This record gives sequence, structure tokens and C-alpha cells, in this order.
Amino acid sequence: MAEAAQEKNPSLAEQWSLQDKEDKSAQSEVPVEKTTGDEKPADATAEEVVSEKTGETPVVDDANPVAEENSKTPEQEETESQEAAEETPAIKLETAPADFRFPTTNQTRHCFTRYIEYHKCTAVKGEGAPECEKFAKYYRSLCPSEWIERWNEQRENGTFPGPL
Amino acid sequence: MIEVFLEWRFLTIAPCDAAEPWQLGSQDAATPIMQGIIDLHHDIFFFLILIFVFVSRMLVRALWHFHEQKNPIPQRIVHGTTIEIIRTIFPSIIPMFIAIPSFALLYSMDEVVVDPAITIKAIGHQWYRSYEYSDYNSSDEQSLTFDSYTIPEDDPELGQSRLLEVDNRVVVPAKTHLRMIVTPADVPHSWAVPSSGVKCDAVPGRSNQTSILVQREGVYYGQCSEIRGTNHAFTIVVEAVPLKDYGSRVSNQFILQTN
Ligand SMILES: [Cu+2]
Repeated sequence: MAEAAQEKNPSLAEQWSLQDKEDKSAQSEVPVEKTTGDEKPADATAEEVVSEKTGETPVVDDANPVAEENSKTPEQEETESQEAAEETPAIKLETAPADFRFPTTNQTRHCFTRYIEYHKCTAVKGEGAPECEKFAKYYRSLCPSEWIERWNEQRENGTFPGPL
Repeated sequence: MIEVFLEWRFLTIAPCDAAEPWQLGSQDAATPIMQGIIDLHHDIFFFLILIFVFVSRMLVRALWHFHEQKNPIPQRIVHGTTIEIIRTIFPSIIPMFIAIPSFALLYSMDEVVVDPAITIKAIGHQWYRSYEYSDYNSSDEQSLTFDSYTIPEDDPELGQSRLLEVDNRVVVPAKTHLRMIVTPADVPHSWAVPSSGVKCDAVPGRSNQTSILVQREGVYYGQCSEIRGTNHAFTIVVEAVPLKDYGSRVSNQFILQTN
């Protein structure tokens, strides 16, 4: 997904140095050991050693001191996330793709169309058909949950305004 | 005294991602779009200063040389082809030089060039803001949703900015294409983060999208730009974390919610 996009316009990508995104792009699971290079390259272990020695927050190479105001120290966060990475299921970074039918800022119809597509799909293929799951994912990504709730209710009552 | 002022004003080492007292310029860019906006501003300022100097020179010169006694009769030019051509052509070329980069930027802002990796929904409510991460759902009910309230004026912790901090920040991965879906549940809002160069109106019954690519990790402070109703919650805080941390942050929260 992202690779294809990068081929499309390499100038933007080059200019804004997203090279590190290529190796860990869309499919990137939680624990990517090979990091960007400037960010904590020596893994958590080295950092922990440093922080144990000094007894305070480790040196942060990057220039984002505001992030440090976070309640957790980076050390805690690091270990925490490492643990979490081991026990929690990996999250797949993917969402509804950009749709050429809806190139505008207004995405109301995009969401609505995906919702209808899903329900048309299940009407044809049967409830819970695996082909339809992608449409479900799309509309859940695009529609505010309040709208989905309302539409579900309307479908139950038979007052849904869209073509189903 | 002056040095202290200069240091405070210009020599801050940390990137400026929140509003400062008496701030005149933009906040530091965190996205290519914001960089583009700042660059355009500087481009336009070049022409602005050029025109300003030229016009002031003419004005001051005219005032200086028109003297009741010394120079009672100014020159009586009523027609001059050359000067008329020049003063027609030049002012029409200058807006063109401004328009070209301006339109290029404008269209690049709302063009979604690549498929986003994450969709985050920012739902505005009058007294708070809720965020939905629904890319990982497997049913309509189950969704990673949290509310983000402004820290009240009377109890910010040390180091927190007054009326700029929230209890739950929006966590986004850095260096990833994001799609923000902006919509309100009651009154109109406008989701704006200056460092990201984003200002997206939230209109009831409509969902707007805007795309963000945060270039560096950090905490970015924004404010709602459509303050409707009493005690309207206007604080927006975006926290960009490295992509590898994002996964665990989100899945942790997801696990907590679903259990
Ligand atoms: Cu608002």
C-alpha cells in the first residue's frame, strides 16, 4: 500500500525522509526491533542500563522535550511497551483506502456508501460472508459510531433511507 | 534585559508546538503541509516588502518634493504610454507569482495522495471531544473510543499549560499517513492543530476528512476554532509517538476496554 504510494511520488517521500517507513510500512507489527536509527538504536536494554546508573530519565536525543512531560518516564514506557508487545496481539495498520469516487473533504457519502455496500453484500452473499468483511471494516473506519447505531436502528425498524 | 527577551522570543531550542504568549509567527511545522504554509507565507512576504518599499518611496518622495514655495507647480504630465504599460503589466504579474504557489499548496492540502494507514475519528461534543479508533473493530459495538476533556483552569499540574491540556490525548503514530474524520455530535466545531497545519470544520450531519503526516514525535497543542455554546471544550492535544510504540499503546487500551 504505502510502497506503491511511494513509487507514485518519490519526490515528496524523499523530501520528507520517509525511507524508514518502507521497511516497516503498513504491515508493521508492534515490536519492530530495527528502528529508525536516530531513535533509541541500542534497544531498551542499553537504555535501561543508562537510566539505572544515573537514576533519572535517560538522555533523550531527540528534540521533543514536551513529550517528556508525559507522566511516564521513557524508561518505564519502554519496558511497558516491550512487555505489552509480547502479550498483546499485533495491530494491523490498515484502514479504508482513499476512494476516487469521494475525493473531496466531505466524506459523508463515502461512509454511507460503504455502509450500504456492506449490507447489499450481506443480502446477496448471506450474513457474515467473508467477502463482505472488508466493507464492514471500511464503514466502521469511516462512519462515526453514532451514525452506525442510528442506521442499524433504522434498518431494524424498516425506516432506513438508503437503498438496501 | 534585551538579551533575556531575545532568548525568550527567538532562541528557544525546543520546537514550538503550542501557543506562546505574544506569539507573532507560526508554530513550528510538524507536517509537510505546515512547512508549505510557512514557506508560502515567506514567499508572499518577499513581494509584500518589495511593494511596500516601492510604494512608500513614491509616497514619501511626492510629499517631500511638493513644496508650496519652493516647487509650487508640479510637473504637468497627463499622459505617458511607457509608464502606463509598465504600471499595468507589473501589478498583474505579481499576483500571478503569488497565485501559483498558493494554488499548488491549496490543492495539495485537500488531495489525499496515498492510502492512509489509520483513520481516527474526532467527534466534537460541546463539553468534550471523543476520539474513535475503529480500524481494529470486528463488530459495530466494539470500538476503541475515549473522551478527551480539557483540564479545568483550577487544577492543572505543574508544567501543564493552562486550558491547553487534556486528560486523554490523541495518540497518533509519527511518519504515517493519517486520515482524520471530523464530525460533531451537537454544535459545530473546528478541529485545528497549528503545528500540523490542519483546520477542519466539523459540521453536524456531515463528516469531513483531512490528512496528516506528522514528521516528528512530539505533543502538539491545538484549539477548537468554532467556539459554540457555553463552556465549549476547545482543547485538542495530539501526541505523536513512534510507530512501534503506537501499536502497543493502542492495543493496550483496546484490551483494557474490551475486557
Ligand atoms: Cu469545538
